[in-house]
Amino acid sequence: MKKTHILAIIVIALAIGAIMTTVSDSSTYSNFGEAIENPGKEYHVVGQLDKEGELTYNPEVDANLFAFNMIDNNGDNHRVHFAGSKPQDFERSEQIVLVGMYENEMFQASKILMKCPSKYNEGQTEEMQEFTAKTASS
Amino acid sequence: MDINYIGEHLWAGQLGQISIIIAFVSALVAAISYAFASRNDAAFSDWKLLSRSAFSLHIISVFSVIGTLLYMLYNGMFEYHYVWQHSNSEMPMRYIMSSFWEGQEGSFLLWLFWHAVLGAILMKTSKTWEAPVMSVFAMVQMFLVSMVLGINLGDVIRIGSTPFLLLREHPEFMNLPFLQNAGYLDRLDGRGLNPLLQNYWMTIHPPTLFLGFASTLVPFAFAIAGLWKKRYTEWMKPALPWTYFGVMILGTGILMGGAWAYEALSFGGFWAWDPVENASLVPWITLVGAAHVMVIQKNRGQSLIMTFVLTTSTFILILYSTFLTRSGILGDTSVHAFTDLGMSGQLLIYLLSFLFLAIGLLIYNWKDIPKSEDEDSLYSREFWMFIGALVLVISSFQIMFTTSIPVWNKLLGTNLAPPLDPIAHFNSFQIPLAIMLALLIAVTQYFKYKKTDPQQITKALTIPFILSVLGTAAIGYAMHYSNLMYLAMLFATLFLIFANAYYWLKVLKGNMKIAGASVAHIGFGMILLGAFLSTSKTQVISMNTSGTDVESLGSDGDFSNRDNILMMKGDTLRMADYFVTYAGKNREGVNVFYQVDYLTKTGDDYNLEFSLYPRVQTNPRMGNVAEPDTKHFLHKDIYTFVTYAEVETEEATEEPEEYKNTSTQTVAAGDTLFAGTAIVVFNGFERNVDSTLYDIQEGDIAVAANLTAIDISGKKYDVNPIYVIRDRMAIPVPGELEELGLRFVINKVIPETGKAEIAVFEKPDNYREFIVMQAMIFPWINILWAGCLVMIIGTVLAIRRRLRS
Repeated sequence: MKKTHILAIIVIALAIGAIMTTVSDSSTYSNFGEAIENPGKEYHVVGQLDKEGELTYNPEVDANLFAFNMIDNNGDNHRVHFAGSKPQDFERSEQIVLVGMYENEMFQASKILMKCPSKYNEGQTEEMQEFTAKTASS
Repeated sequence: MDINYIGEHLWAGQLGQISIIIAFVSALVAAISYAFASRNDAAFSDWKLLSRSAFSLHIISVFSVIGTLLYMLYNGMFEYHYVWQHSNSEMPMRYIMSSFWEGQEGSFLLWLFWHAVLGAILMKTSKTWEAPVMSVFAMVQMFLVSMVLGINLGDVIRIGSTPFLLLREHPEFMNLPFLQNAGYLDRLDGRGLNPLLQNYWMTIHPPTLFLGFASTLVPFAFAIAGLWKKRYTEWMKPALPWTYFGVMILGTGILMGGAWAYEALSFGGFWAWDPVENASLVPWITLVGAAHVMVIQKNRGQSLIMTFVLTTSTFILILYSTFLTRSGILGDTSVHAFTDLGMSGQLLIYLLSFLFLAIGLLIYNWKDIPKSEDEDSLYSREFWMFIGALVLVISSFQIMFTTSIPVWNKLLGTNLAPPLDPIAHFNSFQIPLAIMLALLIAVTQYFKYKKTDPQQITKALTIPFILSVLGTAAIGYAMHYSNLMYLAMLFATLFLIFANAYYWLKVLKGNMKIAGASVAHIGFGMILLGAFLSTSKTQVISMNTSGTDVESLGSDGDFSNRDNILMMKGDTLRMADYFVTYAGKNREGVNVFYQVDYLTKTGDDYNLEFSLYPRVQTNPRMGNVAEPDTKHFLHKDIYTFVTYAEVETEEATEEPEEYKNTSTQTVAAGDTLFAGTAIVVFNGFERNVDSTLYDIQEGDIAVAANLTAIDISGKKYDVNPIYVIRDRMAIPVPGELEELGLRFVINKVIPETGKAEIAVFEKPDNYREFIVMQAMIFPWINILWAGCLVMIIGTVLAIRRRLRS
């Protein structure tokens, strides 16, 4: 066998490896129902802020706990804990993408992506912002 | 009824629009006539004259479009949608370039501008290559101009989006009542440049990046010309310096983007594997691969197919990244803001045309492209360079595959979401590949083309090897690296740097003229090393330092000692080697600056070391945006940004010092109460009531609630509010903590559950201003920026050498 063939095989193997890892590392867009059925598994949940629900953020007590209610695209309303500070202008968000899992009777979000309407052109441009809860690496 | 609008400058838009149309037509004419000129037949000189005139006209008209738009921005002609959207009358003129390319139309014009400049240079310098290369150039320009054409075909098809559209002609605004007023311009001001973009990065980053994009067209055009004219190998000589130039400029542009993110945005680092970052990184990687296989080809006449593939795919990947970032397809996956101007179809046609052109030409010429039959020796430079190019291909493939997830979803109808932790996902692949690459770069130069004596290589590499082992041990020990992969990465990057430095000093005898490759590789090694050290040992120092482990207070993990720290105005907290004080805030325009003083302590005295001013921008377009402030040291950066703060600067009016009920909570023993100045733990009830606190009587039943308040500095206070039942009447006796301005009243005792309802009263001035912030240390990040400079120097040396030969 020629060296080029060996190389070709290695490259193809690595490429397949890259595809497999990507597929296994990726998650799916989902809803609360599915997340509750599989506690401990991470999901992207898309929904809207429940404007009636209570927004809890007491930085004096814990600067890393923000809780709110979100209604997912199926209409399920759940309490969400986010281990980070309250994103600026959270109340104005139009759409939220949560990354996180259901744990201890609560949806624990590790990341919040939110879309806010532009103040100038209603509904025309949506600006995305991302907020990540970081865990200390110690 | 027609309205005679007052004060509009219609001539400007007409001039601009006519220039766009001329630019389009002249590019079309140039593409065709250059194609005829490339046939070198009898009519050659006529075609050449026509094509040169057409392309010159194209260049002039592109400049005219740009000049007109700048003039309109400069004079604040807000009757034009683009001017209205991206500038206003208050904007300082130094941001005029930023507002020029803030919008998509402007960034296409910037791209056209660089192509026109590069085209002008090539027209003069490419000699026998002029006709076919410029034909490709003109074709690309024609497609690009069509993006800003703004012509409607029927009702459905719109070609391009022009920057010269009047506001009152814009479909979203044309029906607004105020635009029916003839004098509307009197009161109209633009909505202005996004404040987030009002900084010097926005002035220098886009032109650099777009020059990088534009320079990938040169090797592409040469490769296509080479296939077209069946001059399969000759095209590389003129293309190689341009490829190096592209590597340098595009690389600089990408790193500038990283530096911008690091300096001005609170992403918490310079690289986040964001789709937009990846989209420009991938073509850079393939361009680096193309440059290297060109060198193999030039010296050994091998890997020709790979050269064509990498050169053409680089440009196509640039188009693909434009498609990704401008079509809105990335949607939920990126933090960068995108707007779809409805041109994704047009971009797709553009992309596929050039993809099929490249593939078609390659297949058509496949039989004729010379292929080398002899096997490379394992001890030859070309073999290992080729392996290096393959590593680059795999690296770019992996990044692109993951970044394209939204595209796969569209194509396959799947519903995949991107990896939950993108940084970990990419690193798991890219770190091993970077290690392989670094080792290859370290050793490959020591191989000669064709065949080398292996003993010579091992001998020559001994010193760099020993140095890197020692360096890895020293740094690994000093910075506490224990992870094997990280140690391997550390060793590989050090080995890359030492081996190339040694090669330059010993083998090349320090000769600067031929040092290009070594110096550029050293720079690349430094970039890898700086990126690796600063990201793998990023230290979050803003963890809870109040002395109280708040995590232990909560029963169900509600509390954490994580990255955010709360600082009351005036309090001094310990943070890593410093004591930190939040000194107050100050509003300047849309920005609210929060002054954070970093102090050191000698004895009992605090000395101010430096102050940082992280800010929150009350951005009218995007809401509030936090921007960091960084203290740079030689060996580390201290990076600080506000995650939560009030932006109002008015001082609250003083109120009389009365207690106010702020909350009432029902708690069991071990639970926590929330108060403004302290965290209060309810330890349980006590039967032994201190009788000095109230007038005790016969038959009273009294319990005291044992509360411990912990203030922000960790000091503990005990307080015992009392609950008395006398003649079936409840009499609460409040407990007070003067120091903290707190008062507690037991409203109710529930004997069955042992719970108590406790009301918390606070003095209004307890409410103190505070910020929540994060601070982190990036060690040795300066190696990365220095590496960028070294790489630029190395590339310039390499270009000079190629131009001379």
